[in-house]
Amino acid sequence: MYVGQAILRREDERFLRGRGHYVEDITLDEPIAHAAFVRSPHAHAAVTRVDTARAVGMPGVLAVLTGADWTAAGYGEAEGVWPVKDMSGADARTVNRPFICTDGVVRCVGEIVAMVVAEDRHQAQDAAEAIAVDYEEKPANTITARALDPDTPLVHPAHGTNEVLVTEHGLKEETEAALARAHHVTEVVVPTNRVTAASIEPRCYMGHHDTVNDRYTVWTTNQAPHIVRRYFTKSLGIPEHKLRVIAPDVGGGFGMKLYHYPEEPLVLWGAIVSRRPVRWVGTRSECLLGDTHARDHHTVGRMAFDEEGRILGVKFETLGAFGAYESQWNASITNAYHFTMLSLAYDIPAIHTTVRGVYTNATPVDAYRGAGRPETIYQVERLIENGAHEMGIDPLELRARNLIPAEKFPYQTAIGIIYDSGDPPALMEKARALCDYDALRAEQAALRAEGRWMGIGMVAFFDMAGAGPVKMMNDLGAKIGCYDVASVRVHPDGRITVFAGSHSHGQGHETTWSQIAADRLGCDIDHIDLVEGDTDRVPMGIGTWGSRSLSTAGMAVYTAADRVVAKAKRMAAHMLECAAEDLDLADGEFTVKGTDRKLSFAEVANASYHSGDRPADLEIGLEETSFFDPADCTYPSAVHVCVVLVDPETCAVTLRDYWAVDDVGTVINPMVLHGQVHGGLVQGIGQALMEECAYDPESGQYLAGTFMDYAIPHAEDVPSFGLDSHFTRALGNPLGAKGAGESGTIGAPGCVANGVIDALWHLGVRQITQPMTPKKIWRAIEDAGRAQQ
Amino acid sequence: MTTPRTVELVVNGERRAADAEPRTLLSDFLREGLGLTGTHVGCEHGVCGACTVLVDGQSVRSCLMLAVQAEGSEVRTIEGLGGADDMHPLQEAFWEKHGLQCGFCTPGMLMTAVELLESTPGAGMDEIREAISSNLCRCTGYQTIVEAVQAAAERMQGEGQ
Repeated sequence: MYVGQAILRREDERFLRGRGHYVEDITLDEPIAHAAFVRSPHAHAAVTRVDTARAVGMPGVLAVLTGADWTAAGYGEAEGVWPVKDMSGADARTVNRPFICTDGVVRCVGEIVAMVVAEDRHQAQDAAEAIAVDYEEKPANTITARALDPDTPLVHPAHGTNEVLVTEHGLKEETEAALARAHHVTEVVVPTNRVTAASIEPRCYMGHHDTVNDRYTVWTTNQAPHIVRRYFTKSLGIPEHKLRVIAPDVGGGFGMKLYHYPEEPLVLWGAIVSRRPVRWVGTRSECLLGDTHARDHHTVGRMAFDEEGRILGVKFETLGAFGAYESQWNASITNAYHFTMLSLAYDIPAIHTTVRGVYTNATPVDAYRGAGRPETIYQVERLIENGAHEMGIDPLELRARNLIPAEKFPYQTAIGIIYDSGDPPALMEKARALCDYDALRAEQAALRAEGRWMGIGMVAFFDMAGAGPVKMMNDLGAKIGCYDVASVRVHPDGRITVFAGSHSHGQGHETTWSQIAADRLGCDIDHIDLVEGDTDRVPMGIGTWGSRSLSTAGMAVYTAADRVVAKAKRMAAHMLECAAEDLDLADGEFTVKGTDRKLSFAEVANASYHSGDRPADLEIGLEETSFFDPADCTYPSAVHVCVVLVDPETCAVTLRDYWAVDDVGTVINPMVLHGQVHGGLVQGIGQALMEECAYDPESGQYLAGTFMDYAIPHAEDVPSFGLDSHFTRALGNPLGAKGAGESGTIGAPGCVANGVIDALWHLGVRQITQPMTPKKIWRAIEDAGRAQQ
Repeated sequence: MTTPRTVELVVNGERRAADAEPRTLLSDFLREGLGLTGTHVGCEHGVCGACTVLVDGQSVRSCLMLAVQAEGSEVRTIEGLGGADDMHPLQEAFWEKHGLQCGFCTPGMLMTAVELLESTPGAGMDEIREAISSNLCRCTGYQTIVEAVQAAAERMQGEGQ
């Protein structure tokens, strides 16, 4: 069995030798031209003149294109993958992110106004700088919390409001009643900071138009190439059979590389116009500004407790950022992933939430690793933490009293979602043992007596992973089918190529999909190759996002392999003159049970293609495809505990320890799993302590345009992690596997925040917004001190 | 600024020459001029470290150095570190410890670690964490990179004895 083993990754050799093949590395027979963009320097302005005359004649310039050219060419606009619907089901106030400014108004810094195509990157940039654009500045607002204030400038005045949509979910009356009868009510204002994925590889696209055969090719840093192909039918109007989308090695995605970004159709347009292949690679500033941002929910939460600290109900009111426009998947955050997970790992009888999506003059917000769950977990857990302190109950003890007991699974949450399997109390007990909780509390007390500030943070939660089934996700708003696809092709020599509709950009599918296929096919893992990321080679795919690939594409591999085995057994049975049921397949051989009669898998494969002696009703060939629609989402769960030290002199936070106990069901490769958890944790820790897509509140200027300004964690900022697990099988797929890609990211912001608050509670500190920088911590301590005087 | 001149240097032990504009960055020169695309460019302002190469034995951000400044230098890039059959102990250890995921920061991480272990063969965990803090990785969470460098250090010391 390969499944369950820490097989070393089969893709690593090329990366370790500098032979990875990223979009920026690709060469073609023809020289590749380069694109550069003119972008709005203002948060909100009328564009009164775009003068390209000087740029057109500059050295190396092949094309200069503006919004007027786009309109004249008759091209289209973006379309939502997860379009906004209001509670009534009607379309809400949708304004899709433009590819290039066509209506004379720019609504956030970085919006594209013009494009230059030139022989090389420097010439393109030089010519872009020679384009003169006149702007008339308009009032702007970049702050989500202010979006619906009466005097706030409107991003889209035609709508008469900055509100995109309102949705309510849960049990309103029951929740109000719980708050009314509660022994204790905790209220916290819990905004989540605006962050961005900041993959180390910048976004990069290359377009090519083969005029002889009238076919188009796009190379893209993207997680879902078939979905890109679908949306080119809307942007440039290219039919799907005419376009090949290739997503080769991609240097980190994290959800951010899922979208049909403006630069993607623009480079292909540039290629069509200039009759040359055209590439754009984003500068870091373009990426920090133009990559979708994430989170930025402004939430007020209230939680009702009884005398014993049992949670009676929880109520949330949220302003959810859209930014200046609707990005393709934004409504999946506000309408699908935020509200569904509000029960976390707790047995909460009444939950109600109201979400108002709002426009601001800021970069569009979309899904980034966790999408909706980091906000939710952080918000609920901040309420639990404060509630425990206010009621004088140990925070772990209060949580333990509220966990969903194992015997209640499948568990229907008050918000309507059913968690299929889990055992939160077992996770909590393992976490308690792993961190030696009682010793930590004793250490905290001893340090506090010395004037040193130590805090213990924790969270306990569920994730909704593995998007599918198709019907469920359609009902939650998705306009794409959330299944996935794999073909298993056995060649006549018995070797195998697996084609999968997922996309690996760090997840290691070449290893894990091969582990699954090798077990099902009873073959050596080295006899299998994987193809992903090419719409001309892979039949169809929905791509890798939302911790979904294992339970959709991985299951499609599993299913297609089983079909191959069933067919091969019929051929082998014919050759061995036995019944198919009498055959065993192992180690590359079909054996008649209880005998020494056998045939190799390769012999059967060869006969499947080349022998005229076969069952009359058995088709030639040995290849099967599965379009796998899972029976359910998967619901991974986890308990995290951390220890923070806050320096009383500098207010700097040291994250000393971090433990995570996960339930991700069946594990394919524990090494890969741990890598996913580690990386996810550090992204969540970054959100908690240092990351922020900051805007100047007065001018709307973006302040985080370099890696000197947008801080992501370095090795010295994070500890080594202590991991443990307690697995319960997922019920929605035969592998029993649950998604594992986001658990770390979604738990860490709340866990670290609770640790910092726990360290400072005795000083009167009750809440600090993230990122919890030394300055904010110092300010919170000062304010608390003044309040206590 | 735009009139090309020939830059001659030694790359991975081999004498190389190619034309470059005076404004051409060493990173672009390696990637486009010499076709060595293993050196990656993540920020072009010297923070992420993905473009780290060794110039005369010292790690440099090849995005912060002009190609013409490397004239006559000895440059080492990921392509020269080790092949399929003779991997460097750091490459082996990154493989065994899962010290990479998407692979984009990996060449820069490896070259940074090469410099560390060549200058400080007995580097401990804290020194390793400090040294690789010059490079950003968004996938691994760093723990497995630290463990890989530690394992390589032990292996290299063992071989040296």
